[in-house]
Amino acid sequence: MSVSLFFQLLVNGLMAGGMYTLVASGLTLTLGVMKIFNFAQGNFYMLGAFLTFAVSVSLGLPYPVALLAALVSIALLGVLFYWGIIHWTMYQGFFSTMLITVFFSTIISQVSLLTFAEQEKAIPAVVPGSLVIGEVSISWGKLLVIACAIVIMIVLYYFMKTKIGTAMNAAAENRDVSRLQGINTTRIFWVTMAVGCGLSGIGGAVIAPVMGANLAMGSNVFMRALLVLMVGGMGSMSGALIAGFLVGIVESFAFQFIGSLNMIAILGCVGILCFFRPGGLLGQPLPVPGE
Amino acid sequence: MSKLTKITLGIVVILLIIFPLFSNAYTVQVAITTITYSMLGLAFAFSMRVGLPRMDIAAWWGVGGYTTAILMKDGMSFWLTALIGGLIAVIIGAIVFSIAIPRGMMAFFIFCMVLSMAFYQIYGTVKFFGGWSGIVNVPVPTIGAFEFIAKRDIYYMGLFFLVLNGVVYYLLYNSKIGRAWNAIGSGLKLARSLGIDVVKYRMANVLIGNFFIAVAGSYFVGYYRAAFPSIFSFAAGLNVMVYLIVGGFSYSLAGPILGALIATFVPEYLRVKAEYQVIFTSAIVILILMFLPFGVIGWVDQKVRPWLSSQKWYSRATKSA
Repeated sequence: MSVSLFFQLLVNGLMAGGMYTLVASGLTLTLGVMKIFNFAQGNFYMLGAFLTFAVSVSLGLPYPVALLAALVSIALLGVLFYWGIIHWTMYQGFFSTMLITVFFSTIISQVSLLTFAEQEKAIPAVVPGSLVIGEVSISWGKLLVIACAIVIMIVLYYFMKTKIGTAMNAAAENRDVSRLQGINTTRIFWVTMAVGCGLSGIGGAVIAPVMGANLAMGSNVFMRALLVLMVGGMGSMSGALIAGFLVGIVESFAFQFIGSLNMIAILGCVGILCFFRPGGLLGQPLPVPGE
Repeated sequence: MSKLTKITLGIVVILLIIFPLFSNAYTVQVAITTITYSMLGLAFAFSMRVGLPRMDIAAWWGVGGYTTAILMKDGMSFWLTALIGGLIAVIIGAIVFSIAIPRGMMAFFIFCMVLSMAFYQIYGTVKFFGGWSGIVNVPVPTIGAFEFIAKRDIYYMGLFFLVLNGVVYYLLYNSKIGRAWNAIGSGLKLARSLGIDVVKYRMANVLIGNFFIAVAGSYFVGYYRAAFPSIFSFAAGLNVMVYLIVGGFSYSLAGPILGALIATFVPEYLRVKAEYQVIFTSAIVILILMFLPFGVIGWVDQKVRPWLSSQKWYSRATKSA
């Protein structure tokens, strides 16, 4: 394999991995804090990409505005979802709320199918050209995506260190005890929902200039995010970070060698990993009410 | 079973038998799909009894379907392929679930989702399964010289399978193993403290479910006479839950069947446009989960029945029955 090809594959893998990390950390955050498995996470990712298209191409505003718009509006959608539905059904337990997110995601994907139709929306590159070192040439756009993903993860890391982040951790640990300590768990829940959904939304907005926006991207990324959860461990942020990039890189290299069979190979590897380390690389098996 | 339940059950069975004689081909076709989904729903409710929400229904459904499609093209009898498909699902399931089930509900849940997607990918990419365009022109199921080619005959075959499923599940629920499952479902720690081997009983439950799901897959391919990956996709497996939610989780036998009846025929007769039908169903399901958490049957049981028994004419009528 030539050096150029190696770096191409590595950058592609890191770029995809960054997206998996963002979606998976949103998923793992809501799962850890609220004990909700949000199936709509992938759809929010897709909506983020389409919003970027709407703001930056249809309205003609600069890209950073589109990024912010995607983050804010998807976070707002998450909060609405919480106050409209989840808040009133959380008492029913894990399974019912999960089903609600399943059908909410079905509604979103069907509505977007009717609205956007089955066409690919291309968004012009933010930074044209590519970085050339010797014979290796990597487009700036892809590097920007990786950088954005890393910056967002760092911001998330410091957010979790703030007072509200600590309160989130406390609520994740034990909901009732944290309420006794004077933490307003309802507020924690809607903030968690906003952060979790916002992560997906901004993920879609970040990737849009490179990959465009299409309807299948949501379910594709969601499937990989599930793998990331299994590899990294449920409820573990650092696990999601490492596993996200790992899955992205492995997928990218495997595609070069075995083509579209790569997903099967990855799924097999994940199955074997689960056999030896059921909690994932870093996480502990998540305690489930009643287990 | 009380006398009233027996009478109701008898009426329902008679209605199901004479129903295709009075309806057109399209309605019968919808009924065939409903029957398939009822079978899948029964299997799903079956595993909910031991507290395992299984998201891998589509995978095993596909195992049955593809076994039937491949073997029937080689000239094997339909009934034999259904049996073999079931057994293959049990054998693969025994290997796969021996990893997942000891790890608890959450690991099982995610594992099943990944499994479902993996099977979908395998059906699509491996040449043996015919790729994304699938296997078509599967022969017609037969008994002797009789061919199951008319919609009505296929409906009766499905009804046979459905009744078989129902009877087996009913007997299982009321046996010793069924009581152990109930114990596991109502409290894992409690069941363990009673000396029930949770992993073993859960394993038995899931594998029996696998067999019946695969048989449902064989039946569907026998009717559809083609098998391709998109039938057995992860999203198709999620559809099964609609029926269970509409019917009610805690009603393992009546829930999926009644739910399937309501959820297929009500949108059909409200003449909702096809592209809005998914949105309509999903919204209804969310509303049911919010306001009728125990499903339609649960609502009847908890609200309508007490109201009825407070009425004089109802108590008089039930006494004389």
